[in-house]
Amino acid sequence: MTRLRGPWIATAASIAVLLGGWITLSWGGVVSDLFLPGPDELWDAIVDLVQEGYKNRPLWVHVADSMIRVFAGFGTGAAVGTMLGLAMGYFPTVDALCEPFVEFLRPLPQLGYLVLLIIWLGIGETSKITLLFLAALPVSAVAARNGVRNVSVARLHVARSLGANRWQIFRHVVFPSALAEIFTGARLAIGIVYGTLIAAEIIAGNDGIGWMILDAGRFLRSDYVFIGILIIGLMGVALDRLLVAIEARVVHWAGKQ
Amino acid sequence: MLSRRKSLLLGLTSVAAGLLVWYLLRALDLVSPELLASPGEVIAAFIDIVRNGYRDTTLTQNVAATLGRCLAGFALATVLGVPLGLWMGTSRVTAAAVNFIIQFLRPLPPLSYLVLLILWFGAGDLSKIALLFMGAFPTITTAAMAGVRQVSQQRVQAARSLGASRAQVFRYVLFPASLSMIFTGMSIALAGAFSSVVAAELMAASDGLGWMIFSASRFLRNDIIMLGIILLGLFGMALTRSLLEIDRYVIHWRGRE
Repeated sequence: MTRLRGPWIATAASIAVLLGGWITLSWGGVVSDLFLPGPDELWDAIVDLVQEGYKNRPLWVHVADSMIRVFAGFGTGAAVGTMLGLAMGYFPTVDALCEPFVEFLRPLPQLGYLVLLIIWLGIGETSKITLLFLAALPVSAVAARNGVRNVSVARLHVARSLGANRWQIFRHVVFPSALAEIFTGARLAIGIVYGTLIAAEIIAGNDGIGWMILDAGRFLRSDYVFIGILIIGLMGVALDRLLVAIEARVVHWAGKQ
Repeated sequence: MLSRRKSLLLGLTSVAAGLLVWYLLRALDLVSPELLASPGEVIAAFIDIVRNGYRDTTLTQNVAATLGRCLAGFALATVLGVPLGLWMGTSRVTAAAVNFIIQFLRPLPPLSYLVLLILWFGAGDLSKIALLFMGAFPTITTAAMAGVRQVSQQRVQAARSLGASRAQVFRYVLFPASLSMIFTGMSIALAGAFSSVVAAELMAASDGLGWMIFSASRFLRNDIIMLGIILLGLFGMALTRSLLEIDRYVIHWRGRE
């Protein structure tokens, strides 16, 4: 019983300390409302946003627009990246040919080429989703490639000595062994896509939760900024949980080998 | 496996082919100069900036500003994040008290709270380093925690049944086994910090490579934008590569288990 209760008490205590600190700082007048809105102001702002929306659009429309962008960019980028990474891991020639480009693109700050995408594709959805696609692709590719490379040599030898051909080895040994790393890559990719989302929404636009935060920041509405961050955080956690749940089902053997 | 020489040769061929396509796009007038600067124009811009600087800043100064901010935030996050993550991995109570905060911060796009950080710490280097720290810290901490947790139970039990104390299990089993995940986390965090630093330089800065690109985009200087992107990519690769070399040296058993 104590084993189960211990961690929960720690979480509750930690939340209590955070809330206590926040209330003391804001209601005690230590920090100005401009920098840190108090709980009551934040609540008023939430009610206001839910009822009135932000700048002519209901709140859920901003959230939905952002989510569609994330899914479009992440879905395409992770799918193409994983396939590319598997090919790179399995065929050394493909790896040698693609590596310079992947290694160049991966650490390249997304905001750096945002400017070029705007020049090329305009300020509409295309440049936003392309930006997210390019953000997800190299991370997924590298994860899949490393997954293939980290497959234990003993397993490959066993499969080969039992007479498996190259495709069978890939299908039954390499791919399942690489899945855990592919999922790790997908979680990283969604984090990066998520991080790039706001950058994507800087591009002109007048919708999306990222745009709302930037716009509110411009008008020093730190209460709206906080709510925006809160929504983005919760959406991020939900997305991550979703991936973890899928991973637990698909790669159910992780950590039990 | 391909020989090192052959794979290097293939990589160079592939890069050369890419450059040739880029050159031909402009040489054959397939793309207008407003959309894409030619390789020659980018080289000319590079020579010009090395000689004369860009709008009262030298190239060295811009590179140093970007890399310095990036490494400061990253180093701080590593020094604090690795011990915390290891502690969270071994103690369920610590994990319960801190993990929800870190898992909330982790998927948050740094750009979203950049607005707040500028409000709190001003537009100087302090808000930028705080931004990079907040971006890298959750990733490194999570990686260290996950690293400890993914260590196979068999190893821990084997060590314990051979009479190892808790400290010995940590020192000789858990820590070395989690190093590979810690390094993976660090390389992701470094890439993240590198892209955030450019984002930060977009919002408020008067030097840095990111600032140079955005300033150039305002004057439609395509050649300088491309040059900036190439430089960012090369420095990003150099950062990743140096971490990879350290990784190879420290975790020499990777993939041979």
